[in-house]
Amino acid sequence: MEIYHTLYITLLIVLSFMLLVCLIRAVRGPRIADRLMAVNMMGTMVMVMISILALMLKEGYLVDICLIYAMISFLAVVVLSKVYIGIYEERQHHMEAGKEGETDERS
Amino acid sequence: MSAVEWIRFLIGSLFLLTGMVIFFTELFGVFHFNFVLNRMHAAAMGDTLGISSCLIGLMIFSGVNFTTLKLFFIIVFLWFSSPVSSHVLSRLEVATNANLSEHCEIYEDVAVLEQELAAKKDTETATEKEAHTS
Repeated sequence: MEIYHTLYITLLIVLSFMLLVCLIRAVRGPRIADRLMAVNMMGTMVMVMISILALMLKEGYLVDICLIYAMISFLAVVVLSKVYIGIYEERQHHMEAGKEGETDERS
Repeated sequence: MSAVEWIRFLIGSLFLLTGMVIFFTELFGVFHFNFVLNRMHAAAMGDTLGISSCLIGLMIFSGVNFTTLKLFFIIVFLWFSSPVSSHVLSRLEVATNANLSEHCEIYEDVAVLEQELAAKKDTETATEKEAHTS
């Protein structure tokens, strides 16, 4: 069983380096959609890490945590996208209202 | 370890290594492209194919028990949720980007795009017919 342990440790190290690269994308991303996409990718990799850990420690209940993690990461992406669309529309509305106010003052 | 266990280990580690290669390709694509909607194309691959092959490898390792069923449920859930989150993210990008037309063509009406595609198809068939006759 030593060889399984070596394989799991190697995969966890590789995955943690990939997670760091994802974090670089999330910090550098010029737009909000870039950052949300990087967070989604990080969620996927963390899911693989949790499942590997569940088999390595022989604790089956860690897979339940992985399932809940998948649901929460999906929910985070959907809710944050909706929130940012709402913020943008509200800002556009404010700008239009401001322009109308300016024209009213001029006239 | 017996021969059967060795074969199981080799098949499982093959699936896991395939998953790692797909994750690496995903990261390469995300840093290679310049625009969000192109990057999303690379990122959606790891969400479905990468995690599926990784979890299939782990399912082969764990054998037939309840953990395998739960890993299968994770794959099924991601098959449903990943396209939805990609769709919502691209809607966010299209809704908030003011100068989207710098990066891709935009058709306000789908009928215009359909007409263009039909015209392109007609010209292609015409050129094929000419090639056949000559």
